[in-house]
Amino acid sequence: MNLSHFWILIVSLFLGQLLLLLILAWRKQQSNKRETAINGQYNALTDSFSSHMMDPSDERFITELKASPYQLVVLERLLNHYVSVTKAGADSPAVSRLSEEFLSKRYMKLLKRGNWAMRMNTLYFIEDFRMASLIPQLKEKLAKSSRLDQETQQLIRTLASLNETVAIDALAKYPDAPARLYIDVFKRLDELTKLDELDAALKDEVNNQMLKHSAVSYIGLAGMTLFLPRVEEELQHPDMEMRIQALKAILHLQYMNSPSALAPFFQSTAWPERMFAAQIAGKLQLSRYKETLSELLGDPVWWVRYSSAEALTQFSEGDIVLTHLAESHPDRYARDMANQWKTSLLGSEQ
Amino acid sequence: MQETALILSYIVIAYMLFSSLSYLGLFALAYGKVKKENKLDKRESTEDFLRNQSTYPVSILVPAYNEEVGVVSTVRSLLALEYPEKEIIVIDDGSKDSTSMRMIEEFKMKKIPFAVRMHIETAEIEAIYQSSIFPYIRLIKKANGGKADALNAGVNLSSFPYFCAIDGDSILENDGLLKCMKPIIESDGQIIVTGGSVRIANGSTISRSKVELIGLPKSPIVIMQIVEYFRAFLIGRLALSHLNILLIVSGAFGVFNKERVIQAGGYNKNTVGEDMELVVRLHRLLREEKSKQRIEYIPDPVCWTEAPESLEVLRSQRIRWQRGLLETLWNHRKMMLNPKYGSIGLFSMPYFLFVELLGAVFEFIGYFIIFGGFFFSLVDPQVAGVMFLVTVFYGSLISALAVLLEELTLHKYPKVSHLMRLYFWALTEAFWYRPLMVLWRVKGIFATFQKKAHWGDMKRKGIST
Repeated sequence: MNLSHFWILIVSLFLGQLLLLLILAWRKQQSNKRETAINGQYNALTDSFSSHMMDPSDERFITELKASPYQLVVLERLLNHYVSVTKAGADSPAVSRLSEEFLSKRYMKLLKRGNWAMRMNTLYFIEDFRMASLIPQLKEKLAKSSRLDQETQQLIRTLASLNETVAIDALAKYPDAPARLYIDVFKRLDELTKLDELDAALKDEVNNQMLKHSAVSYIGLAGMTLFLPRVEEELQHPDMEMRIQALKAILHLQYMNSPSALAPFFQSTAWPERMFAAQIAGKLQLSRYKETLSELLGDPVWWVRYSSAEALTQFSEGDIVLTHLAESHPDRYARDMANQWKTSLLGSEQ
Repeated sequence: MQETALILSYIVIAYMLFSSLSYLGLFALAYGKVKKENKLDKRESTEDFLRNQSTYPVSILVPAYNEEVGVVSTVRSLLALEYPEKEIIVIDDGSKDSTSMRMIEEFKMKKIPFAVRMHIETAEIEAIYQSSIFPYIRLIKKANGGKADALNAGVNLSSFPYFCAIDGDSILENDGLLKCMKPIIESDGQIIVTGGSVRIANGSTISRSKVELIGLPKSPIVIMQIVEYFRAFLIGRLALSHLNILLIVSGAFGVFNKERVIQAGGYNKNTVGEDMELVVRLHRLLREEKSKQRIEYIPDPVCWTEAPESLEVLRSQRIRWQRGLLETLWNHRKMMLNPKYGSIGLFSMPYFLFVELLGAVFEFIGYFIIFGGFFFSLVDPQVAGVMFLVTVFYGSLISALAVLLEELTLHKYPKVSHLMRLYFWALTEAFWYRPLMVLWRVKGIFATFQKKAHWGDMKRKGIST
């Protein structure tokens, strides 16, 4: 064991670290300088940018932007901020025009670049700025992808935001594509396209169960009562998952054409069906099921008891019914639950 | 005697060199992921979840024991969290101060009857309160049972499928919960636990749950803890998470799948390292079921916590941590080197035993040999000199490297002066901070056989303005 070898090793490692430290310190200084300059220009251009967005004939912003050495980064930040704080920002023609004019070439290059994070950011921005001119590049990229990884998922969302139904077709290629992704796609399509696609999904012409589940789920989340009769039809579906999605959608839609269709679900062997039936009976104040809800208060499953008690609070005399049940229900757990709900209408933040 | 000391010297030197190499290997594994995600626009990547109705609702559990100084600001910071649907449950584990009183007054809480589902047995629940201003804030007042028991009570009362456990003295960033839920949502439930990266808040300006200005504290003890965090998180946890063998999710902040935690039996009340013990038990459950579900760590800092500034508090914290580690490894010794548990049993458990737990013992022997070699001819001064250099390499240069690697990847500290201060303080580690840690960690091993579980005792100043 030679001490001098260790000395050499330690000293060289230390010197190596010092060199790395100096390089990193220099890099940090440069990047801080750059960031300060970008922030300065961002602040300087904010006023003329705001004027331009309100009155596109005011060309002051364009002139100032063209003179800026950091024009692309500054514009990207200005547009991104505008889109996130204004309601109609994403659909603003001015946003699309500015981004197409200044950013499309850069984004075209970035989409092909090796850096994953930069490609992802580019996809987010193309979506936010609705840059339709990049659709061919996006489609080409989608055709080449073979895995439903994060990038492909965002690519599909971005295409959907540009109203491209190819996004749904692409998802069909992946049998394990999750419902949330289909819902993300429906959410982004424009109204007319969305109606057509939902209609097609409910008809299940392509025999894609996940697409159909997601369509029913989305109809509920978006409150599209237009499709209510079609959703009610699904209550008879042999697939339990489909029936549960239909029940959930009805709960969100808060309406039923034929409340009697709910009756069999209170006796279902599957507890989620009993739970959703109880929730619907409460939300829609279907007083014909009050007796059933009182019985379900003694259900073996906690969630069913919880939902039945919550449902009873929705009726005008719910507190009286719950007070009565808190004392007289034969089941101890039902009495506890009734006691909890009669005192306070609890809820979580919505 | 001298021969034994010489053999021990060789073993310790080999150990330190091997551990250093394993650190570098682990960092190399993690580097790709950190670098890959570093430039990702975090706001863009989470904003969709904020508006998404299918984002899972989360119950936030705040176990508190004598936290009257920090509990209200913690809950206020949680109110400011950007998340579509959440509930906040504070569990006062029999505090002797006015933790409950502060909550009741601040949030106008009223006592309510509540049919708690007893998934996991806990100490007696004395009362449940609900805020009349924010109905989704609840307070459980219970008999003292320890942090694990408090968390179990919170799990019982929670209504949502995922819960997040956060310490009463920590501040979660506005989008911290979204960032932690993102992998869970994107994996469609395949990820059952996410551990957020915890950063030390001392020296930074935090206002309304937002870190306004990242800064360095003046106290060298806290600076050294920041360096330690870099070393642990960048060199250890990221790589272990990448391999799905991460055994620690910080007690300060983690998101858990409630059903899985209940299946695993909840938090273990008989250990002080309940966070690590639960994660090991979940791994065990997953391996026994041959499940493909995962536990993941997120490198982005999402939670800020107050680090101890006094040596006394730091000492008790480190003894507790070491004790928790030993208790967990002992409780799950069946998994050690057991091929049935795959890489957890064959790699992760031995790693935690030899590097994280016994590392302190090897280093202690190392310091002893250096001292004995230089002053009492215990070993050849040449060997003591090599031991000294290896200790400096293992203690100081690896920590200094961790500072440089942080700057290379995440670079969260904004000023060049921050980088310099962190680097040069890291170089001093082997000469004062590390010997202290080694001593306390060895004490922690002995403490395992002495005391029963209790809450950590820390004097809080509060970190949010």
